[in-house]
Amino acid sequence: MSEVAISYWRMRARYYRLLGNKCSSCGSEYYPPVYLCRRCGSESLVDVEMPNTGQIVTYTILREVMAGFEGQQPLVLGIIRLDNGVKVVGQIVDTPPEALKIGSRVKMVFRKIREEGEAGQIYYGYKFTTL
Amino acid sequence: MGRVVVASVGYTKVGDHWDKSILDLAVEASKKALKPYPNIKPDVIIVGNMFSGRSSRQEHLGALLASALNLAGTPAFKVEAACASGGVAFNVGYRMVRSGEASSALVVGVEKMRDLDAAEVSLALSMADSAEYTQFIGASFLSLNAMLARLYQETYNVTRDELSAFPVIAHQNATTAEHAQFRKAISVEDVSRSPLVSDPLRLLDCAPIGDGAAAVLLTSDKLLDEEDRVEVLSSKISTNIFSVYEREDMLTFSATKDAASKAFSEAGVSVEDVDVLEIHDAFSVTAALSVEAMGFSKPGEGAKDAAAGVYSLKGRYPALTFGGLKGRGNPVGATGLYQIAELWLQLKGRGGLNQVEGCRIGVAQNIGGVDTTSVVTVLAKR
Repeated sequence: MSEVAISYWRMRARYYRLLGNKCSSCGSEYYPPVYLCRRCGSESLVDVEMPNTGQIVTYTILREVMAGFEGQQPLVLGIIRLDNGVKVVGQIVDTPPEALKIGSRVKMVFRKIREEGEAGQIYYGYKFTTL
Repeated sequence: MGRVVVASVGYTKVGDHWDKSILDLAVEASKKALKPYPNIKPDVIIVGNMFSGRSSRQEHLGALLASALNLAGTPAFKVEAACASGGVAFNVGYRMVRSGEASSALVVGVEKMRDLDAAEVSLALSMADSAEYTQFIGASFLSLNAMLARLYQETYNVTRDELSAFPVIAHQNATTAEHAQFRKAISVEDVSRSPLVSDPLRLLDCAPIGDGAAAVLLTSDKLLDEEDRVEVLSSKISTNIFSVYEREDMLTFSATKDAASKAFSEAGVSVEDVDVLEIHDAFSVTAALSVEAMGFSKPGEGAKDAAAGVYSLKGRYPALTFGGLKGRGNPVGATGLYQIAELWLQLKGRGGLNQVEGCRIGVAQNIGGVDTTSVVTVLAKR
């Protein structure tokens, strides 16, 4: 049995729609979602989708991938500052690595993240592509 | 509260121990640490370890080790804080002895990494960060540090050669350290020519995979009233917002800054008083951001200072004196205890060819995650 199939099911809205949360008290937004607002401490938080565009803060081309990602190397990964100021980490696809720059505009796309063999679970989630 | 003495230390060579289990390694280091004081039976055994469950299908290391040492009956447990497991285990032992709860403590750090292949080690290390949000999308621990390195170089205009200075220092010091994994000098050019693993980081920017164990015997000064002893002046733990990308300022190691500031204050020492320094150089960029957070270099100048010789064995702040994580090796849960053992060698004047002459104050900094947990410990020669 897969180690992460159940947690994946639990997380599907987070992964498919970048569903984070927002403080009802001060308006701060978060992804990953938080349990307590980091700015004002409020416990009153509601789920909210993050904007699906942003820009690259930093990036790397990972040549030695971890277990579960065999055959996908190299992976291009970036820290993206979304247009609401929230930073997230994600893969950057459909862009030649040499064309990447800090500050490049990106948008979120829905893609396959990995699969567990031919008969196993397939995991989907967000990635980014340059605009 | 009483004073706490690092009475003795023991460790294995770091490297490929194909013929030894995780318990074999922990027992070997423990026996060496206990040997000089056969009449001291530790009141508690604390094991620092990150992923024995994954590497060896073995948990419950505290009781496992106590039983193997014929010390069943002794309170024993494992402490985990990713790559800071060893430093945190040391901190717990120190506080138990200082408070009087225990008059002696055996603290052992151990990690068995080579029984896993590289992709499995990478997965195990990724558990230092968020499984749900970082590991899931394929962002390994290496990739997070690589993204930080790019940001560091861009923000402070740090060159490739400057970034290479810490690995070069580490390997130079490791050449004369008997327990080091890589006893081989490297040049700045060697770092630049090594394969890119996650750009801008190259293979020689990164600490290797290895097996090892290190142990220290802590006692109260009432139990061990010797001349020429090594005392713990302070040990502080701090934590940061969990993942580096969740932090507003990604280039300040706030946990290290906070732990160092509190540890130095309690010890009554300032940066200028420090004679020898063991930092957490898991990656070249990690070393630079660590010395900056502790105040040994200004922000953006850690790597530049290393290139200028500040952190070399004969420099103003000798660091990584037996090779650090890069040269001595980084069996993750053991690393924090190797650092303490190496400072003990320095302060006792037993550093051999790696001896920092006349040293009196030593500092160890051990981090878990990308500065997510940080432990800073100050030791002094009395």
